[in-house]
Order: sequence, then C-alpha cells, then structure tokens
Amino acid sequence: MDLDKLRETAAEVAAREDVKYLIGWKKGSYGYRVAPGFVEEAEGAAGLIFSPLCTANLATYLTLVEKLPLPRGQEPDKRKVALMVKGCDSRAVAQLLVEKGIHRDEVVVIGCPCPGMVDPDLLGEKYPETEEPAEVKWSDDGFIIVRDGEETAVPRDELLAEKCRLCRYPNPVISDIMLGDPVDTWDPAEDEGVSEVEDKDVDGRWAYWQEQFSNCIRCYSCRNVCPLCYCQDCILDRLNPTWVNRSVNFSENTAFNIARAFHLAGRCIECGECERVCPANIPLGKLNRKLAREVRDKYGFEPGLDPEAEPFQASFKPDDPEDFIL
Amino acid sequence: MIEKPKIGVYICHCGINISSTVDVETVEEYALKLPNVEVARTYSYMCSDPGQALIKEDIKEHDLNRIIVASCSPRMHEPTFRKAIQEAGLNPYFLEMANIREQCSWVHQDMEEATAKAKKLITASVAKVRLLEALESTEVDAEPAALVIGAGIAGIQAALDIADAGFKTYLVEKTPSVGGRMAQLDKTFPPLDCSACILTPKMVDCASHPNIELLSYSEVEEINGYIGNFDVKVRKKARYVDFDKCTGCGDCATECRVADRFPSEFDEGMGKRSAIYLPFPQAVPAKYTIDPEHCLYLKRGKCGKGPKCQEVCGAGAINFEQEDEFVEFKVGAIIVAPGFDPFDPSRKPEYGYDDYPNVITGMEMERLVSASGPTGGKVLINNGEEEIEPKEVAFIKCVGSRDESVGNEYCSRVCCMYTAKQAHLIREKLPDAKIRIYYMDVRAFGKGYEEFYDRVRRENVRYIRGNPSEIFKRGNKLVVKVEDTLNSRPLEDEVDMVVLGVGLEPRAEMRQVMDLLRLSQSGDRFFLEAHPKLRPVDTATDGVYLAGCCQGPKDIPDTVAQAKGAASSAMIPLARGKVTIDAQVAEVNEATCRGCGFCVEICPYSAIEMVTVNRFGHEIEVARVNEALCKGCGSCSAACLSDSIQPKSFRDRQILPQIAALGVMK
Repeated sequence: MDLDKLRETAAEVAAREDVKYLIGWKKGSYGYRVAPGFVEEAEGAAGLIFSPLCTANLATYLTLVEKLPLPRGQEPDKRKVALMVKGCDSRAVAQLLVEKGIHRDEVVVIGCPCPGMVDPDLLGEKYPETEEPAEVKWSDDGFIIVRDGEETAVPRDELLAEKCRLCRYPNPVISDIMLGDPVDTWDPAEDEGVSEVEDKDVDGRWAYWQEQFSNCIRCYSCRNVCPLCYCQDCILDRLNPTWVNRSVNFSENTAFNIARAFHLAGRCIECGECERVCPANIPLGKLNRKLAREVRDKYGFEPGLDPEAEPFQASFKPDDPEDFIL
Repeated sequence: MIEKPKIGVYICHCGINISSTVDVETVEEYALKLPNVEVARTYSYMCSDPGQALIKEDIKEHDLNRIIVASCSPRMHEPTFRKAIQEAGLNPYFLEMANIREQCSWVHQDMEEATAKAKKLITASVAKVRLLEALESTEVDAEPAALVIGAGIAGIQAALDIADAGFKTYLVEKTPSVGGRMAQLDKTFPPLDCSACILTPKMVDCASHPNIELLSYSEVEEINGYIGNFDVKVRKKARYVDFDKCTGCGDCATECRVADRFPSEFDEGMGKRSAIYLPFPQAVPAKYTIDPEHCLYLKRGKCGKGPKCQEVCGAGAINFEQEDEFVEFKVGAIIVAPGFDPFDPSRKPEYGYDDYPNVITGMEMERLVSASGPTGGKVLINNGEEEIEPKEVAFIKCVGSRDESVGNEYCSRVCCMYTAKQAHLIREKLPDAKIRIYYMDVRAFGKGYEEFYDRVRRENVRYIRGNPSEIFKRGNKLVVKVEDTLNSRPLEDEVDMVVLGVGLEPRAEMRQVMDLLRLSQSGDRFFLEAHPKLRPVDTATDGVYLAGCCQGPKDIPDTVAQAKGAASSAMIPLARGKVTIDAQVAEVNEATCRGCGFCVEICPYSAIEMVTVNRFGHEIEVARVNEALCKGCGSCSAACLSDSIQPKSFRDRQILPQIAALGVMK
C-alpha cells in the first residue's frame, strides 16, 4: 500500500464540501497501537496509515454516532461520512446498507485491498508491546516488524490473524474509491475451530461453552464494537420484559451470548472484532462462524456481499430447508 | 388508575368432547382458587344461547371485567364470545380463550393428565387475561366498485353478476379479446352445447353493460391498499389501432403484407393470422390489434412503400404512434380469475408431441373439430402425401395429470370428460373410425357425466385400461405401446392420430398476480384459498377472491358456480359500504425502532411501510403498520431484533407471564 497515495486521496476526500469527515486509521499513542483517525480537514490526512495493525473495523463508527437533539430551526448536518475499509469492513458496510442502517448517499467508501492483518496477541507474545514507537509492514511473503530502527522479517503464517486465515474476501466488495490494485486472494483455511466444536457430542459442546461463557464479565464490549449491533435500544438492556437478567452468572451469561450470536445469524460478516476486544478471551468468532456456516450450508446465503440483497432474517422461501425443526 | 381484575372462567363440556377426558368439575373448583377469579362455571355448550347468557348475567351481577372461556380453538368461537361480552358492556378484547379441546381433550386419553393440563392452560390464561388492553375496532368506507382480473368465463360471469347488482366493475383482460379458453372450445360436455353459442352472448353483455368498464389488451401494473380501498393501476397496451375509429371490417388483415403468416393463438397455432388481427371472428371487442412482434413497420420501421393496413383502412384507424396508456381507479374488492395453461406435452417426450405432427393435444383437437376452426371442422391428418381422414384415432388420458414425474400429482378433473366428448364428436364425423381411449381411471363425477360416459362407450369407443409408455412411428402409422392392465397383455396398437388428453396447470404468469396481491399457492401451485372447505373463494388477503381454474382445475359449471360465489363475496363490502378493521394488529414502538425494514420484508400482507419521522431535528426512518392490512400474525415481531413491533394482545409483556404460568419458565 502506497501511503502517500492513501494520504493524498484522503486529503482530497476530506476537503470535499459534501464530506463531513473521514474515518481512517492513524498511529496510536505508543508501541504497536493504532487508533481510529477522524479527519475533518485535508491537513489531518497526513497522519493516516494502513498497516497490518489496522485490525479495527471502522464501519462501527457509522452507526455509533449519536444524533443529539438539535435546537429548533437548526438543520441536521447531512454531509457524507468517508470511511476506509478492508475487505471484511466493506462487507459490514454492505450489510448496513441492506439493513438501512445507513444509506448509500450518506457514505463515501474508500477501499483498501488487504493482504491480511497480524494477530495482536500472537505479535505481543513473540515481540512484546513496547512504549517506543513500533510498527509492522507487509513484505512480499510475510510481515516486517520495525522496532528501535531494526527490521525483523516474520513469515506470514506465524502472525496472521485467524479471521484473515479464513478470509474469503480480502478485497473490498463495495467502494467508491479503491486504493491500489486488488490483492491476490488466498485459499481460506479450513475452519477447524468450528469443526472441532461441531465434532463434540452434546455434552462435550455444553461443557466447552459452559467453560467459555463462565468467563464472561458482561462488559458488552463485543456488542458495542460490532458494526451490526446498532439498535439504539438493545433488548438485552430492557427491564420489561427482562430477557437477560443483569446478574453475572453462567445462566445469564449464556443467555446473553446466545442471544447476541443469534441476532447476528445471517448478518455477521466475520470481521472478528467481538473476539478481538473480548477481555475474557471468549472465542466469540467461533460461535458467529458456526452460525454463518449453518446459514451458508443450509440456505446458500452469505451476508454483506450485495447491498441490494434481501435481508436473510427477513426472507422466507417455501422451499427453505426445515429439517432442523423438531 | 388500573382497575382490579375480576375474572370469570367459563369451562365448556362441549357435549362430551371435553368432559369425557377432562374432569370439568375439578377444573372449575381449581379455577375458583386462582388469583382474581370471581366466578367459575361449567356448562354443556358454552357457545349456545343459554351458555352465552350465563356469561352476560355474571358480567352484570359480579361486575366482571375479564372473561376466560375454556373451550375450543379461538379460531372457532372467539368472535362468538367477543360479541357476547360486548353485548354485556365489556370491551370485546377483554376475552381470553383457553383451548382445552383441540389442545387438550382431543389429544389426550388419560383423564387425570388431561385434567391437570386443562388446569395449567387456564392458569396461563388467568396470567394473561389481566394484562389485556382495551382495543377498539374501526370502520372505513368501502369503494363501491370491483376489479376482475381475467375475462374468461369465470371473470366474465363474476363481472356480470357484480355489475348487475349495480356496482361499477372493471374487467381487465390481457389479450385483445374476452372469452378465454372457453371461446376456443367446440362443444361442451355433457349436453353438447356449442361453447361459442352459450359464451358469446355473455361476452357481448360484458362489453355493453353500463356498469362494466372493459379493459381488454391491458394488464394490471400495481395494486395498493386494502379491502374497501384498493388503488389499481392498469396498463392499456397500445393496439396501434384507434379503438373508437376501428369498425372491425378486417380489410387491414386481408391486405397486410405479412397476411396469414403467423400462428394464430386462438387456433392453437394450427391456423394462421396476419400481423394485424382479430383473435377470432366473434372477438369482443371487435377491434383489430397490431402485433408488434410481427408487424414489419413496428419491427423494422419499414413496410414496403408504406404500411398497407394504413392505406386500406377506410376509417383511418391505424396509428403507429400510439403508446401504452395508464388508467388508475379505486375499487373495494378484487376477483382474481387468470385461468389455466394446458399442460405442455413436450415435457413428456415419450409421447413424441414434438416429433410427430399427428400427435396433438386436446386443445388442438377442440380447434380441429370446431366448425370455426382452421379446417372448418374436418378432422384431417397428413399421412406424408396428402390430407386424409384418420381411420384409427387414439386418446391418451392423464397426460401431465396424476403424474409425479412432471410434478403434477393432482387430477385435472376435465380430461376424462373432454376426451369422452371428443371421442363422441369424432364418432359423429368419422362413423367408421376405430377409436381407442387409454385411461388410468374414468372419473365421471358430475351431473350427467356418468350417463355421457356410458353413451360414448356404447358408440363403439374402446376404453383400454393402461398408461401408454411410448409412441413411436412405424411406416405411416403411429404405434401406441401400452399394457392392457385388465388382462396384463402388452399391446402395440397402430393408429393414424393420437390425441393427448393434457391436464390443466397454473398459468405461467400467475407469479405476477401473486406478487401484486401477495397471494399464496397450495402444494399443487394453484392459488391457495382461505379455507379448503368453508372459505373456498376467499384468500388470505381480505377483499381478494378467487374464481375459476386459478384455484384448481375445474369444468365450466364449477367455474361459473365459483365465479358467482366470488362475486357474491366481493359484493359484501361493496353493498355494506364499510369494512371493519380488526383492532388486534401489530404496533410499532417508534422510539426503539431502528428502521432496518426486516418487518417490511417479512410481512406476508404488505402491511408495513417505512416512514420518515422527525426526531429532535433529525430525519429518521421507522416502520409503520397499516392497520387495515395487518392480520396480527406476528411475523414482524419474530423478525424484529430490537423487539420494537408487537401484535396487540400478544405483546411480550402479555404472553411471557402466560408462558411462565405454564411452568416452563422461572
């Protein structure tokens, strides 16, 4: 990725009159950290980056923005929001369009073909986080870690994030501006994580998830980071009826996690953000991917590919398989 | 202030339907101990007059404000009891039915267990009934006009009945003429009436009726709204002939540069027509139409030195500049009568319909024996050298019916009789011909049908029980390979002509109508009626009724009967002038709706739309329910991720306590 080109394009877009601000990635305050960058003026674009550390799915900021009450007579700012997206992020945008979470004329999508992100945990294990500036770059066949002016080449498989090993859409599926050429896609790895759990018997699966959900501290980070969890008033917060009790225990944790996963069935675009932000290291991606696999196998549907698609959870065909109904 | 619930529980014996399995007296005692229950009674038939009176008296005497009737399914008697409690001064929606018949006594044998279950069901109803809200149904005006889609015999009859009753009727027909399939038939079984003779007067009537607006060569483009208030948009396709000027003289068709070149739809492709044509001589309206697919001028922009039709038309009616027109109107009810398609025998290649010209369909035979047909009523075949009269004619029944291999498991109901009728007509024309009919069963169920079948058999027509496996050619002859299953003998009968008794299929274009009106199909792909026995002409969409073969194969008398039934159903809202909108519909909580539109997509009745509302200066989209269209089915509620749309009387806060009372939730 040519960073000059990226910043130049971003500056042009941010300067457009019909653009409110641009959301991209910028260097964080220390070490490997990357932060979301909100660019309102062209000058701000100089700090933008795109590197194997830009894991965050910025599409979540499209729906996270709060619509504060306007003083009487004041017109709402209807300018567009420009957004930088990787392949997976672009699917979130496409799915948001399907669900009318945003409208096409409200966004400018800047596509960043993505050769794959590093797994921050794997990276930290081998090359611990530092207070000094550090970065990771792509090389032809892997990653290059830059620390203290020293470059270390690391093979791709050693650090590649799980969601990227499984990725089928590294190139953005929708965009208004594409930065650089599309990357060569790779054969996605078999999703052994899901298969392993599938292969367990009912008791084994129960025991597995019991252990995982018992760790949940119900911080709701997974929900809040998810670009597709954008109900203003989440049913999990409701008191009448109380779908999920507030107490943190295995039963309520399970109810919460299953409700979250089911609300994302046929909608989750597998960006892996929920799992990345989970402080309890619950393999949420596995749960989401299991449901995505069911939807794909049973109904031949993949979300976030076609902004014109019928929403999966609201579609019904007379010949839909129903062999799982008791 | 929330009033204190005072509940009356009424337990029905339903004769012995309930009381033979459920100990109703014990249930009564139990119910009395439930919270807020003031009165509990049992009665042999709660739905009867004295049963209802019991409830009404109690409401007055004990000042009850919530009623539970523990009896049959709400589908059966909910309206009965709603009316009863309303008469006693209660809001009709303060009623809860506990279904202890279909969901208890009928499906259990053990009295003890069934009684225990009945108690639970009533406990659950008590938990819910106190949370019910008062609802008011509303009335809206109904437009005193009807739309009939399709002008075959079903559509014509329905339109005539409604128009005769004094209501404006719009009759929309896709093709240039009314008449439909019946116009193509020669004689009709069993009294052998001439089809045209009985149909054409009705065709003329519907064109001249002061209350009928006939929109021929037109298609319905859009239908919005609900019972009593449908907005309809119809496309009148360009005929390229001025409707008012054309006298129907036919000079244009004779002089057309491509005269008699194209297969005539009316003659099943056996006769020819010009690019400008009248589908058949008795067509109504008797106005010519230019077929844009074949007209040289319309297709290529050039026709010799100038279009001949224009040259010869004395009335100056030809107008190549004509464009499709749109008409919009409002109706209160809609009758759907698009008809059927004959089965295409190419899908049974073993019968060689595509390969052998002397293998024809029953529809083609109709045209062949018709005096107005392409041969003037002569039954002729080409034996390779000349046109001759066939000496041996075979009929095969159930082609494309009762046949799983082509996906049609149903019986088409008309083929047995039309085959018998055609055999009779051929016998009249060819007294010496050998006629065989290969059949699986003979179903002669109608009035006079069995008698007619007997008569045909006596006319030296041989019925052979067997389903032919193949038709192939041997010299000039066609060979029907079949096993006579009555004596287990394999046969190879040599014949000159084979008539395939093709069945009836739903129309290929049915999808369009389905999408326009959100109708459903039954397993056989025909339109689904609201109830197979008690509501055979209604659909799940209020104000939309079915007539004719679109609902299932029918002969002419059945079609006419159903059309008259549909017409009378359609006239109910028209005559009343008002329709009642049920109050038990879905409601959106606009404050929590996230505007995703899942409910809009999933609603089977198109009852939900997205609207833009102003929220503190911001324009946001939320769902809104059209109460006239909503049936309260709850599909939207199931699809809603933020729980923002719920059917009234079935809100989460009402049904969750009910479920909890069953003991399945903590």
